[in-house]
This record gives sequence, C-alpha cells and structure tokens, in this order.
Amino acid sequence: MEGLIPESLDEALEALSERKFIPIAGGTDLMVRYKRWKNLPPSFPSLPLFIGHIAELSGIEKKDDEIVIKAATLLSEIEQSPLVPSILRKAISQMAAPGIRNMGTIGGNIVNSSPAGDTLPPLYVLDAKVVLLSKNERRCLFIYDFITGPGKNQRRDDELLYEVRFKVPKHTHEMYRKVGTRKANALSKLSVAALASSRDGKIDDFRIGFGAVAPTPVRVKSIEEKVKSRHVSELSDDFINEIVNEYGEWIKPIDDQRSTALYRKTVALRLLRAFLLQLKPV
Amino acid sequence: MGDISKPVRRFDAPEKIMGTARYVDDYFEEEMLFVRIVRSTRPRARIKSIKLPKLPSGYCVVDKNDVPGENRIKMIFDDWPFFAEDVVNFYGEPILAIAGPDREKVYELSNAVKIEYEDIPPIYTIEESEENKRPPIFGENNLFADYFYEKGDPDGAFRDADQIVEEEFRTGFQEHIYLEPQGMIAKYEDGRITVFGSMQCPYYVKNALIKAFGFPEDRIRVVQTTTGGGFGGKEEYPSQIAGIAAFCAYKTGKTVKLVYDRAEDVEFTTKRHPSRIRIKGAIKDKRVVGIEVDIALNAGAYAGLSSVVLQRAMFAATGAYRIDNVRVLGKAFATNIVPLGAFRGFGAPQAIFAIETFMNHVAKKMGEDPVRFKLAHRYKKGDTTATGGLLRSEVRLPEITEKIIEMSEYYEKKKQKEKDGKLYGIGFSMFLHGCGFTGNGEEVLKSIARLKKRKDDKVEILISNVEMGQGPQTTLRKVVAQVLGIPMEDVIYENPDTDKVPDSGPTVASRTAMIVGGLLYRVAKELKEKWKEGEEVVVEKQYRHPEYIKWDQSTFKGDAYPEYSWGANVIEVEVDPLTYEIEVKKAYAVFDLGTPLDKKIIEGQIHGGMLQGIGYATLEVMEFENGRFKQRTITDYIIPTAMDAPLFETDLVVEPYKNGPFGAKCAGELTLVGAAPAVCAAVEDALGINLYEIPIRPEKLLVLMNKEDN
Repeated sequence: MEGLIPESLDEALEALSERKFIPIAGGTDLMVRYKRWKNLPPSFPSLPLFIGHIAELSGIEKKDDEIVIKAATLLSEIEQSPLVPSILRKAISQMAAPGIRNMGTIGGNIVNSSPAGDTLPPLYVLDAKVVLLSKNERRCLFIYDFITGPGKNQRRDDELLYEVRFKVPKHTHEMYRKVGTRKANALSKLSVAALASSRDGKIDDFRIGFGAVAPTPVRVKSIEEKVKSRHVSELSDDFINEIVNEYGEWIKPIDDQRSTALYRKTVALRLLRAFLLQLKPV
Repeated sequence: MGDISKPVRRFDAPEKIMGTARYVDDYFEEEMLFVRIVRSTRPRARIKSIKLPKLPSGYCVVDKNDVPGENRIKMIFDDWPFFAEDVVNFYGEPILAIAGPDREKVYELSNAVKIEYEDIPPIYTIEESEENKRPPIFGENNLFADYFYEKGDPDGAFRDADQIVEEEFRTGFQEHIYLEPQGMIAKYEDGRITVFGSMQCPYYVKNALIKAFGFPEDRIRVVQTTTGGGFGGKEEYPSQIAGIAAFCAYKTGKTVKLVYDRAEDVEFTTKRHPSRIRIKGAIKDKRVVGIEVDIALNAGAYAGLSSVVLQRAMFAATGAYRIDNVRVLGKAFATNIVPLGAFRGFGAPQAIFAIETFMNHVAKKMGEDPVRFKLAHRYKKGDTTATGGLLRSEVRLPEITEKIIEMSEYYEKKKQKEKDGKLYGIGFSMFLHGCGFTGNGEEVLKSIARLKKRKDDKVEILISNVEMGQGPQTTLRKVVAQVLGIPMEDVIYENPDTDKVPDSGPTVASRTAMIVGGLLYRVAKELKEKWKEGEEVVVEKQYRHPEYIKWDQSTFKGDAYPEYSWGANVIEVEVDPLTYEIEVKKAYAVFDLGTPLDKKIIEGQIHGGMLQGIGYATLEVMEFENGRFKQRTITDYIIPTAMDAPLFETDLVVEPYKNGPFGAKCAGELTLVGAAPAVCAAVEDALGINLYEIPIRPEKLLVLMNKEDN
C-alpha cells in the first residue's frame, strides 16, 4: 500500500496543496470503512496521508479561557485529562473500548462526521470551534457549522483539521447518556449531552445536543432560548411538554440495523424531559 | 466429587495464551493458491448467464462442473449443493470460486464476474412457507420435516380441563461468532485429497468428500487444525468449505486455502433456527395436566440437520415437567435464507424458552409462585418422559432448586421493585438436557475409540473428537490417565487425522465427555489389564447403547436420550425506566451434570454457556429484510462483551451416570438452555408484563410499555 508520511505539519499542508489525500490518524474509522477482503490492505479512495505521529497535531492545553485540543490527540488522552470538561470525558469513556481509544483521535471523530459520532453532541453543547489549516489559510468555524450532513463537512481537500477549542462552561447541571447496543464496543442508538445552569432559581444557561437522531447532531438554539432566563418554578408540565414537542420536530431518526426510529425519538425526548425535570426544585 | 474433578492446567492453554497455536489461516506454503467464492446476490433466482472476466495464467474458475462425484453435501437429505446448479436459493449461495496465487487479483477477478438472474418469488418466513402460495422450495409443501408424537390422552385432558391456556412464542436467529472464522486448506497429492481445517467433525467432512469425489475412503484424508470455537457452527458447515477447497486443489494440483472473511462468516454460514412455538395447556385443579406443543422452525434453503434439530426441540417440548397427556407437532420449513443449522442446544433452547415462559405465565394466572408451581410439575425418578422414556436416575431438582433459591436469596429479592432508580426483576428457570445424540443417533453412529500404548509407555488417545475450547484435551487425558494410573503428561491426544483415528463420531450434542469419554474409560480399563511394559498394546472398543435403552425412531417412543442433565438458573436484571435497556446484573446456576471432569473447565462452560444464552435473550438481534440480514458484521451483530457479563455464582449437585466416565453426564449445551427463560422471567418481573419473544429488545419493550400505559 502506498501513502505519504510527512515529518511536520508544514510538510503535510504542502502535500495537501499539491494533490488530494485522505488524511489518516488512528485509522479506527477509515480502516474499517475501506476494508475489502481478509488479509488485503484497505482500499482508500485517495492516497493516505499519515498524520497521527505529527507532534504539532497532538496535545491539550488551556489558552486564556479556552481549552484547545489538537486534532490528532488520542481519545484516551482526552478521557484522562483534568483540563477537559466532564461531559466530553464521559462521552469518550463510553466510546468503543480502551484499545480503540488508544488509537482513535478527536479530529478523526469530528471529520468522520457520523451522526452517531460520540464526541459530537458534547462538542455541540460546548459551542466548540474547529480550526482548519491549509498552506495559506486558517479558518475557524463552529462545529455545528462545520458538519453539514452524514459524513459530510466543510473541510476542503487542501485542509487539515488542526484543533478544536471551546470555553469551559460554568454549569450547575449536566447529563450525558449514550444508549448503545451494549456496554462496550458499541455504536450509539442515540446519545444526549446536556448542560444547564440555574442560579437563585433562574435558568441562565441551557444547552442540549442529540446524536444519531438526524442526519447531523441536533442542537436547536431557538428552543434553548425559550428555556433560558426562566425561573425554575416556571417549568410546569405544560411548559415541559411544549419544549419536548418542539424538539420532536427536529428529531428525525431512521430505522436501521441498530434500532428503530420510534425508539430513538421516544427515548431522546424522554431523556430531554428527564433533564428538564432535574432542573425543577425538588 | 473425587480427584477427577480437581482442576488442572489446561493442556491447550499455554499455546493459545502465548499465541503460538496454529490455526488454519496460520499455515502457508510456497505456491499456495487462495480461493474466493462468488456468491448469489439474489435470494431466489434462476441463473440465466455467467460472464467471466478474462483469467490470467495461473488463475482458474471452479464450479459445479468441477465436482468429480455428486454435487451434494452429504448430510441427512443431501439436497444442499456445493455450488448452485441452475437455481440459487439464498443470498450468498456459492455459484463458483476463483483460485489464484495473488489474493488481490483473486479478489478483483471474483468481483468482475457478472451473473444474470431471473428472479423467482422468494419465501422468507415460516408463515410464507406454510401458506405455500409461491412455488415451493422443497418438495410440494416446503416441509423438510413434519413430525408428531403423543402420550396419554391429550384430547381427553383438554375436554375435561377447568381452563385452557394458549400462547405463542417466538425466538430469533443466533449467530455463533466463534473467535476463528471458518476455513480449510486442501491438497491433491498422489491421488489423494487431504483437507486441513477448523472443524468439529472430521468424519462428516471426510464422508462429504467421499461422496463429492466418488473416491474410495482411503483416498480422502481430513485433519483438524486447532479450532477457535465452534458452538455447532463447525458441525455441518465445514463440509461446504472443504468441498470447494478440495475441488480447487483437484483441478489445479496445488495447495489451496479457503478461509472466510469475518463478514462472509457472519452472513453466509449457518445460524440457530428461528422458531414459532404454540403451546396449549389443559389446566385442572391448578395443574397442567395436558399439553399440546406445536413447533415450527424456519430452516432456510436446504435441509441440512434441521430434521434432527426439530426432533431435539420436540423432545424438549415439555421441559423438566411431567405432563401425562402430551401432543407434540413439529415442522421444519424451507425458506430462502441461508440454511439454519447446529448451534449449542440444537433446538432445545427454543423449546425450553417456550415451555418455561409458558409455565411462568400459567403460574401467574393461577396466582402461584412460579418456583413452587414448577416444582409441583417436575419430573421424578421412575416417571416417563414426554416420549415415554423411563427416568432411571434420581432427578435432583428439589435439591437444585433449594440451593439456587438460597444462594440467590430469591424470595427476599422477589419483593424488590426498584434498585438505584432502575426497575428491578428476578427470574427463575428449571430445565433438563438430553445427553448425547438424539433418538437412535448413537446406535447409528456406533462410535469407535482406540487407545494405543506405545513402546515408550506413553498412551495415545485415538478418537475423532476435537478440542474447540470446551476442554477435552484436558478432561479426556485426565480420564485415561486416572484409569491407567499414569501421569496425564504421558497421555497424548493430538488433533485428529482421519488416517490415524477411528470414527468416534462428531464433536456435538454434549456427547464427547459422556459418550466418547465413557467409551475411553472402558477402553482404558481393558488396556490396564493388557498393559505390558515396553510393548505396544492397542485396545479399541465400539460404543453400544445400554441394553435397557428402548427407542422407536418411527414413532418417537421410548428413551430419546440415554441420560439427562438438569439445572436451574436465577437471573437478576435492572431495566432502565427511560430507555428500557436491560442490564443483567447477576446470574446464578446450579447444575446436575454428573461428576465434573474438571471443575474449572465446567465453570468455564457455565459462564460461557450462560452468557451466550443471555445474549440470545437480549442483545443478539439478527433481522432478515428484503432477502438479506440487516446485521452482517460484528459491528452490528451484537454479542455480550466482558462488560455486559453479569456476576456469576454457581454450584453443582452430582447424580452420576453409571456409563459416563467417573459418572460424568452432559454439560456444554445444558449451560445455555436455561438462561433465556430466566432473563425473560426477570424482565417480566421488572416491568410487570408478559413477554413471548426473544431477543427482548428495548425497542420492543418501549412499544409494549406504551401499549400498557394507554
């Protein structure tokens, strides 16, 4: 099998400026997607550009009020980093199994842009931004603008995903639930990541993201706004029903080999309701 | 439990742990050819034309015209071809194979074969096969088997009943997912075909090749390579692979390797039969006094072993219960699905799930505790079974039940409704398993076991049964060593080679320890008497059923099995009230499998068997849609991982079988059959509903609970 192993980020970007490659870091998605028959190497649609070893693409740091995670940082490193908010760490700790998390990278999970990508709902609710580099340009986009469809995103062929960054939220309530096909090495039937903050009974922050229930992860800021700045005492049954119904319009899952549309939708909305109820005073 | 039960280090463990064991795919030779099968992409069609790509030199196509003998895999009905002839009957049926030296090229060429089809209306379900509105697949009515037996006066029991309870149960497909995918290497040298590979039954493969080649038996040799799990999946199916590999070797004169890719193995090899089981019970004075069980199996495209799977299901139809008036009906239906086949339990898991769940439901209806209700119906020594066989040994179900109830604190926990915010449930099952081949199987087989004492005073075990993880490399050595009073290390037991070993039958039906082990025990006794230091002594014996066993295969009357193992399981589950995810928290088991030949190996069988049964009841979903399975990779076909395994607590009660080695009975399948009904009972307990189907998916529970709410 042929491929290119650049020694540095610059060399990788230079190569990308010249021809089309398929960047590959841990390979935990790509090796499976392009596998053919036993004992044969996978058949990539273009020449692989191996980037998993590039030091500049790895690491987690705090810059001002932001956490910055380089694209080829291993999932297991993020899972264990005290700098990383727990909602993302929880999600990663339920991905695949330790062996895969020791190979797979956050950048890979983002660029793979699967509706069932487990880092995505937490990154959506963290308002994460992705930074893309090409030889002559640097672009920064919100993750929900970056991902455009199942397996589709705004990365151009000459770009590499460089890093993902987000502010650490100051929330009082948090929920992460992955409903998978089993407890380990499982793809998500659906997942929900939610953060909220209520101070003196006032909800000053509310964010919720859903995975595997639509062509892209679902986050609806207009509905979040309706919850925000409410007093917890206003979370009546009617109000909660209204919010749940509104999300129902956005959650449009499919039947597939892992679950049913009905199950995905019903359970996603049940988890939403459970989170709203958590905000209510006991 | 004597010395024999004391655990020793497994003989096959070091090489498997160190990775030095050589499986079929680990063997390479210079100039070896690789084979890929070109398969049907239609569930049912007439083949109109086949267009082959231009083949470079050194590459060849092998198809139905290259079968020197009969293009039929030898089984019971011999209806299953190695290569499709003019019609394909399931998606994935082999049509031809391409062999060549470079895998890449073989892959390319096989993808370039163009086949034109003319579709025939397919039949997928038991109901479609039963209706018989489309051209039948087999015979005139799609029935591979249509059986019936009766005991007592079922009609009278229903006539006089206080109440009649009727229920219908469904069970799904189950795929084996042994660690090692199937594969064979074949050679044609000096006029002989030799096949090496992963298998449970070397003589099944040999007999299949004799028929396929039309060769005398001395021109066929079959050698088992270290086998990474079988679970029944390597009972009949390896003959299919061995045949194709051997035809390629015969045509090319080269050594050829045909090892399945995991995806091929998941989608195109045999699986457990889905079933529909209708039970009608006649209730009198709160007891089931009459029963009618109607079992329908979806058998797939070819008969394979389905008729015998159906028989075992039918003989297990009343479970561990004495019911004096019985009618059991059974049908195996042809459909356009991959042939369904042997899988640990062989029809019994379907039947035991149905009868156990039925008994739970009836107990609830009668306002009785299911454990006591079941105990009131249980078999006792001296009772006759559903087929009228005599239970000659003590049936220690009361002791088994008492132990498990105490061990699991069943009644205290039964009061519990919630635990850590989850819905809590506990379930109980009680069951039996017939040891060894069903019906007259052992009589027909007439297994031969041989011991050869060499001049160096080491003893070779010469049998055709294989190690596939279940432990005979260790347990059978122990049996022979203990009888002879020699160290276990002086007993040699190599992977069987049909040139060297007699036919001691297939490694199936939990028969290896009890039947073959019992035979070896008697051979060893005789060898001990004939032992002459420094000299070669060979002793051989043929298996004979105990004379008291009476069986009529034409009426299904008498002793369907020479002996039974017994058990009870208790399962604790927690069900998430929002998502209906089921977590199996604890699994308890008490078994009477006779004398354990090694307690550690038995514990391994219990954990593995129960976990496979728990998977069968919960996670293992395989749906058939538009002619193909929806779950066709190990990403999508879900078996339990270590993380999904419950905590196990197990114990044994020992009622020895006099003809088993040191009193051993059957173990391997018994450990699986009771798990699904116990899981089902536990989920029913947690949710307060009745269930009729496995696998129990959260998706299904959600629908049922929504109905319940409305």
